Amino acid sequence: MVLEADAERLDATFAALADPTRRAILARLAKGDVSVMELAEPFAMTQPAISKHLKVLERAGLITRGRDGQRRPCRLAAAPLRDVDRWIDRYRRFWEESYDALDEVLEELKRSKRKEKRR
Amino acid sequence: MTSKLHVTTDVPNEIHMTRTFDAPRRLVIRAMTEPALLKRWLGGKRATVVSAEVDFRVGGRYRYEFETVGKRERFAFGGEFREVGEDRIVHTEAFDGHPGESLVITTYTERDGVTTMHHVIRFESQAVRDMVLATGMANGAGESYDVLEQLLASQ
Repeated sequence: MVLEADAERLDATFAALADPTRRAILARLAKGDVSVMELAEPFAMTQPAISKHLKVLERAGLITRGRDGQRRPCRLAAAPLRDVDRWIDRYRRFWEESYDALDEVLEELKRSKRKEKRR
Repeated sequence: MTSKLHVTTDVPNEIHMTRTFDAPRRLVIRAMTEPALLKRWLGGKRATVVSAEVDFRVGGRYRYEFETVGKRERFAFGGEFREVGEDRIVHTEAFDGHPGESLVITTYTERDGVTTMHHVIRFESQAVRDMVLATGMANGAGESYDVLEQLLASQ
């Protein structure tokens, strides 16, 4: 289901997503690029604290930082997020579909039980 | 079509899944633990069960290997049985190539020939579970995750 290299990248993405502040940062970035200063405002956090979170997100490949001098706007990079989403979605769908198949097996087992009883 | 698989997330480090089967408990458990029967449903339509080994007793291990239909990608998962009861089975679950192991507690309640299976997947921490949820395993399970869904949709 997941290749070795994919698994490593997923690890970094999962770890980055574990924190609610980092998820909120990603949600904010989904609306458009912002500077660290603009990001810090709604979170009531210092810029260094926000910068720490941004480093984690950057290492996970979830965001990129612009080279625009002091401002260095943050931009969302959604590819790793889509990888994770795809993996989990596959997992859930996998069980839904399997249980539907199990329904059929159970019907068959019930039918053969009834036949046994009639004998 | 609405999913027959009902998912709730009230406990911080757990995911609960409920599914009802129109068959007595004994048959449901049989179909879930006998390799020959498991092979017929476990892969659904998208994967073939290449091998299923089940040592159904406390301390016994199980392992399922799959090959996807079409792309023929292989994947596998397995674990160990911790409890083997008439209406309660506890086992660990870990996917090859993916870190971490979860504990799966399954209870089976039978009523008028219909069995309700309640699946509790217990993760190491709320953080681990939230990672799973944040990425859409239980779509719409919590408002706080809607942001992430929007985020994904906007890309």
